[in-house]
Amino acid sequence: MREETGIVTRVTGPDRADGANPTDPTAPTTADFVPPAPKPATPRRARRRSVLRPYVWLPATVVLVVLAVAWSAVARAHPYILPPLGEVAATLAADPTLFLENAWATLSIALVGVAVGAGTAFVLAVVVSEFQVVRRAVMPFAVVLNVTPVVAIAPALVVAFGFGMTPKVVVTAIVTFFPVLINVATGLRSVPLPVLHVFRTLNASRWEVLLRLRIPSSLPYTLAALRVVLPLSLMGAVVAEFVAAGSSGGLGTMIRNSASTARLDYVYAGVVCLAAMGVLLLGLVALVERRLLFWHDSRRSGRA
Amino acid sequence: MTAGIEVHGLTKRHPGARPDRPALQGIDLRIPHRHFVSLIGPSGCGKSTLLRILAGLDRPDTGQVRLLGRSPREASRRKAIGLVSQTPALLPWRTVRQNVALPGKVNRRAGKEIDSPDELLRAVGLEDSAHQYPHQLSGGMLQRVAVARALGLRPDVLLMDEPFSALDEFTREALQYQLLGLWQRRATTVVFVTHSVREAVVLSDRIVVMSARPGRVHEVLDVDLPRPRDRKVVKGPHMHDLEDRVRDSLQSAWKAGAAPDDLVPL
Ligand SMILES: Nc1ncnc2c1ncn2[C@@H]1O[C@H](COP(=O)(O)OP(=O)(O)OP(=O)(O)O)[C@@H](O)[C@H]1O
Ligand SMILES: [Mg+2]
Repeated sequence: MREETGIVTRVTGPDRADGANPTDPTAPTTADFVPPAPKPATPRRARRRSVLRPYVWLPATVVLVVLAVAWSAVARAHPYILPPLGEVAATLAADPTLFLENAWATLSIALVGVAVGAGTAFVLAVVVSEFQVVRRAVMPFAVVLNVTPVVAIAPALVVAFGFGMTPKVVVTAIVTFFPVLINVATGLRSVPLPVLHVFRTLNASRWEVLLRLRIPSSLPYTLAALRVVLPLSLMGAVVAEFVAAGSSGGLGTMIRNSASTARLDYVYAGVVCLAAMGVLLLGLVALVERRLLFWHDSRRSGRA
Repeated sequence: MTAGIEVHGLTKRHPGARPDRPALQGIDLRIPHRHFVSLIGPSGCGKSTLLRILAGLDRPDTGQVRLLGRSPREASRRKAIGLVSQTPALLPWRTVRQNVALPGKVNRRAGKEIDSPDELLRAVGLEDSAHQYPHQLSGGMLQRVAVARALGLRPDVLLMDEPFSALDEFTREALQYQLLGLWQRRATTVVFVTHSVREAVVLSDRIVVMSARPGRVHEVLDVDLPRPRDRKVVKGPHMHDLEDRVRDSLQSAWKAGAAPDDLVPL
């Protein structure tokens, strides 16, 4: 605010009042903050530096090492509970294309499922938030659908749609549908009232309010939903593959078959692939969030 | 000649409020076009409610509102109302310039051109911030963006609800003079809600003092300070007389209204 008055009351002279004392005696302790440094560069550089600091990476590394040691100890004593880590790595390295192919099969089911489920949910959220009647008609059933364990429907879906991709996509779509619906519906209603008032006094149409105000305002909620739903979609795809182990392969099928022949190394290699895919999807959402939500409070407080 | 703003027998009770305590009761106002009017009064006397009704955001229970002879709905259909609230109410995902251009982008059917955004930003001294985003600006700068956005339409009436109340005294004073300058060139009718007696006197041609529970017009005071108002005019002795008169009026308005239930007695 001090900077602000400097500008306003000195409209005639552009020089600022507070740039005058760069040699502040208190400077050494807060050296980074005294000069008005170029804004975008500072926080990013600070963050990159902080990742390299031991107190940032050391705790997680210690836990990782402890877990690995514990795992190896168990694996040595009881090879039918956990396979040795080296064996899992060797299995992965021996036939990477096998894992890549199966991973891709599962991932494509998950992604198509998300596209269908989240896409439908988004459109429905818009309709529901615009029309009270639809809201009352639809929401009770959406809630029922949410509390129903979808795994229970999966066998029936296989009967209905066969062993192809369809039942798996349907399971994944159902799993991802509800979180997106609820989040987006909330986001569309979370418009600050003063802004809405400005649109109203301009007599903006419903469509204009939706497009220019409601949907952009709901973006943080939509992306938060995606962060939940993308890993969930992998789970949906794997569960569907457990139930409908068709010819299309996939990590779920592979894990089930390997488990039944007691090939624990294959099971855990598959699990590693699934975990890697989950991390990848989360990273993707984080990337999109950084691009799209630069204006949102959550991002700014994170950077400060 | 049609008045800038005409209000007749306006009553408003919010749903759920006590029947004997309407937010506004029997409001009659006539504000000549191109006048600058301030609303001042104890908290809860219905200033914001009145402003919302003038803006067509809320309907009165009884009574009539005319903005240059038109109903508020009709006026907003023609994009003839500018609104500035206590918070800047900008779109955070749009740059300053895009925010100022917004009124031109919606409701194109009104067929109303807005002033060039660059010109508007220059008028409020923010041409250097045109491509920044709201989160990169200070509170005072944001409020100036909101003022520029509202003025771009050359509205018939400009409604402002405590626009500067969250700012420090110096910023506030600077923005007051800037607003006066803009208003003088554009000549619209302004209704300005404030809690500051000084702000009301410095800005207005006329001050409407309201009393609370029920919200009524207590007294209308004319401010006969010369225009344009610069710091010299405002420093004169007459200024203090006026401020005292408004303070006295506020005091009697406070006594006239029922005491708020929620205030702890001193
Ligand atoms: N949406 C609402 N629903 C119910 N009552 C309301 C609503 N808005 C305002 N009121 C009531 O109407 C009265 C007037 O409120 P209003 O906000 O207009 O006061 P105000 O003069 O703007 O006060 P302040 O100076 O504190 O901003 C208050 O008693 C308030 O409790
Ligand atoms: Mg108010």
